Amino acid sequence: MKAYPPKNAVKFLRWFCMEDYVEEIEGDLTEIFEKEYEISSRKANWKFSWRVIKYFRPEFIRSFKSNHQINHQTMLRHNFLLTFRNFKRYKSSFLINLIGLSTGLACAFLIYLWVSDELSVDQFNKNGSRLFRAMEHRVRATGIWTSPTTPGPLAEALVSDMPEVEYAIPTSWPQPTTLSLNDKNITALGRFAGKDFFNMFTYELIAGDASQVLKDENSVVISDVLARKLFNTTENVVGKSFDYQHESQFMISGIFKSMPVNASDQFEFVGSFEKYKKGQDWLLSWANTGTQTLVLLKPGINVDEFNKKIADYIKVKTKNEITYRTLFLKGYADNYLYGNYEDGVLTGGRITYVRLFSIIALFILLIACINFMNLSTARASRRVKEVGIKKAIGAARKALVVQYLSESMLMSSLSLFVATFIVYISLAQFNIITGKHLIFELDSNRVLLFLGVTVFTGLVAGSYPALYLSGFNPANVLKGRLSSSFGELMARKGLVVFQFAISILFIVSVLVVYKQIEFVQSTNLGYNKNNLIYFNLQGALRDVKIQETMIEEMKRIPGVENASSTNHNMTGHNGGTYGVEWPGKDPEDKTEFERMTVNYDLIETLGMEIAQGRSFSRAFSTDSSAIIFNQKGIDFMGMTDPIGKVVKLWGKDRHIIGVVKDFHYESLHENFKPVFLIVEPNNTYRIMARITAGKEKETLGNVELLFKKTNPGFTFEYNFLDTVYQSQYENEQRVAVLSKYFAGLAILISCLGLFGLAAFTAERRLKEIGIRKVLGSTEIGIVYLLSSDFTKIVFVAIIIALPVSYFVARYWLNGFAFKVQLQAWYFITAGILAMVIAWLTVGVQAIRAARVNPTQCLKNE
Amino acid sequence: MIQHTLGEFEELVLLMVAALHDEAYGVIILESLEEKLKKKVNISAVHVALKRLSDKGFLKSRYGGITADRGGRRKRYYSITALGKRMLDNQYALRTSIYKQIPKISFG
Repeated sequence: MKAYPPKNAVKFLRWFCMEDYVEEIEGDLTEIFEKEYEISSRKANWKFSWRVIKYFRPEFIRSFKSNHQINHQTMLRHNFLLTFRNFKRYKSSFLINLIGLSTGLACAFLIYLWVSDELSVDQFNKNGSRLFRAMEHRVRATGIWTSPTTPGPLAEALVSDMPEVEYAIPTSWPQPTTLSLNDKNITALGRFAGKDFFNMFTYELIAGDASQVLKDENSVVISDVLARKLFNTTENVVGKSFDYQHESQFMISGIFKSMPVNASDQFEFVGSFEKYKKGQDWLLSWANTGTQTLVLLKPGINVDEFNKKIADYIKVKTKNEITYRTLFLKGYADNYLYGNYEDGVLTGGRITYVRLFSIIALFILLIACINFMNLSTARASRRVKEVGIKKAIGAARKALVVQYLSESMLMSSLSLFVATFIVYISLAQFNIITGKHLIFELDSNRVLLFLGVTVFTGLVAGSYPALYLSGFNPANVLKGRLSSSFGELMARKGLVVFQFAISILFIVSVLVVYKQIEFVQSTNLGYNKNNLIYFNLQGALRDVKIQETMIEEMKRIPGVENASSTNHNMTGHNGGTYGVEWPGKDPEDKTEFERMTVNYDLIETLGMEIAQGRSFSRAFSTDSSAIIFNQKGIDFMGMTDPIGKVVKLWGKDRHIIGVVKDFHYESLHENFKPVFLIVEPNNTYRIMARITAGKEKETLGNVELLFKKTNPGFTFEYNFLDTVYQSQYENEQRVAVLSKYFAGLAILISCLGLFGLAAFTAERRLKEIGIRKVLGSTEIGIVYLLSSDFTKIVFVAIIIALPVSYFVARYWLNGFAFKVQLQAWYFITAGILAMVIAWLTVGVQAIRAARVNPTQCLKNE
Repeated sequence: MIQHTLGEFEELVLLMVAALHDEAYGVIILESLEEKLKKKVNISAVHVALKRLSDKGFLKSRYGGITADRGGRRKRYYSITALGKRMLDNQYALRTSIYKQIPKISFG
């Protein structure tokens, strides 16, 4: 058996050794090796390698420096010239690349603008890292519920008990209120807060001192915008007064500059919390929650340790009465992006969408890069002669790599310009879709980032063709022997598969999101949300008698079908209680029943369906102590024949007169929960009315006249329930619209790539097609020949993409308690759609190629 | 002209090339040296010496024909140049003259 010295050692020797000596050294070493091999093969191998290493010394190491100097300027000019000639010569590939890369970049930039805006929300506070919001985990039968509402006395207690706390304040949620100055009435968003509010937050005060402005209970700090609305100026406004809700006077103690749009809390004035507490005794109890508590910790305090300390603070403060509420602090700015809790565990929030869209941006950019790679490598055969000749006259591989990289760099720079233009013109539309106020301004950071992305794109897109093309063996390519290896072909096909898989994933996502939104809109809520208006009870209307008269008179207006009042806005959790007691209740059970205090006729106005018994009626005088549950509530209490049974609510007996079918009062993300309804007109906050479709304008005009007459000085501000209902799904709607656009883009870019590849294949096989035609092949046969390859590729993409998209869709739908079933036809449609699009794209090229005149393409050889 | 010097090992290699006359290539030089010196010699040391001697102009080389042995690599045969020979002569003369000056008495 013939012995061969170790391959790697020989390779290494050949690599580093001077050319003059390789032959001699390798020969001698081999000769010694062969002799030693007879004695011991293992030793011989080892000794050979060791000897090779001994040659790694200055005497024998070759020079690695290129021995000719390149004139860089000339080379650069030469490269640009070649690039431009190539662009001019192959216009279609140039356009495909330009469109693909620039839309990819534009897409990435738009998403970047959106993501950076999302990330900047609430980051404007100087003390941001020490600013927290107190929150509570509450244990309920259905799991832990996490809420940002805290008891009223909490802030004051924290300041006096905890040395770690610098400031803590209670604050209300911004509410629309009516302010009036002389005869001018305006509606403004206002909130009430403890006196240190302006010490904690970075709201710039134009007038007034941060520690003083909220000291007096009648003082109010207004925004510069509100000051201009009221007084047309911000000068000399401090000290002036205006009326609040036509019931009390506020004196302006300061003016703050309106907060940036990327603040999650938007309001126009801040009043003193002391004022807010007056007449609202529920704010004084630890058992009630309803205020926000904001906390500024002293520097250097570890919040995790502080949270351990305050975990059972509520229990301590209520002397072991309330044991199921755990207090904790959460970073004030974190709440916007990380706001979802499930069973007491943080599960994300908007950050999911931020991540999702970042990934989408990356994928779209990648698809665009793949186009460039694919077309460049496919086009390589046109350029092999160029490479061969260049290499034969002595171009180093490095020079060729630089040439192709500069070509792709030039391409991506051109795309950058086009992309900037696209971003510029589409930003307005993008703002509408995302509900943002993004501006396209270029600061140095952004310029650097965009340039960075462009260079990166150029490198990614150009790297493969650069390495691939420069690696050709000149002797082979000049002889015209260029066989694409199996691996290359697979790589090219793999890239197309990847593109189409992503496109199919997008198509499925769009289908599922749209189906779910359609489902959300068409699902039977248990009441009829259409043509329902509601407006808040304020001013005189808070008097029960005036309220009742208003309702009665409203019912007489033609076009108003029914009207009533309620505490509930039907779009979210409004307030609950665990004060319902029934025979057999577990005394430890703390499940909250949603509380609806309503007026007579509300069930009829909403169009809820009665499952058993009857609705509230004025005909029965005892109905003021009656109660109605939803089916979930009855099931929860385990009653079989509920009508006539008696339960206790807050210690008082209430007899059940009816059961309504379950209805949705929260978004469809949530499951049905137990609800009860009681008649308590003095505890209702808003009037709801159903108006006849088609006569809205007229009817609303009449209602407004009535409103102004009964409630002078207040503006009539109403909402349509279905509009408010829709706004619960704002995020989903945005995802739907955006994914539609992105899917479109991904498909467009993928098709461009496929189009380019098909054109290229058709061109390369022109002679073959000519010969086939001469021999009698039909046009259809040739179209089939050309498109069958691509069909296979897209088919593989479908097979890969469908399971992935199934899991993605299922994951997204899991966020909903009520959801559409994933049906096979979503996936089939997506697959067929992708296939049809691919056929159309390839078909155009195939037909063009098939109709070629054989004499034309066979003429010259 | 730079006065070239000769190291001890270089001198041995040069002598061996001259002695092997026209048949001298790496491995045979190595083996002959090992035989004479009765110790192991590094092939790389031999190659370095050969390279230096060639650079100094004491040796010239030519390639032999291709054979199936040695992985198909050609042998590089070395032969001594006139300059090399003169160098050896000088060395020899120098050593002999000094040797002759050794008084006989020393080894009495």
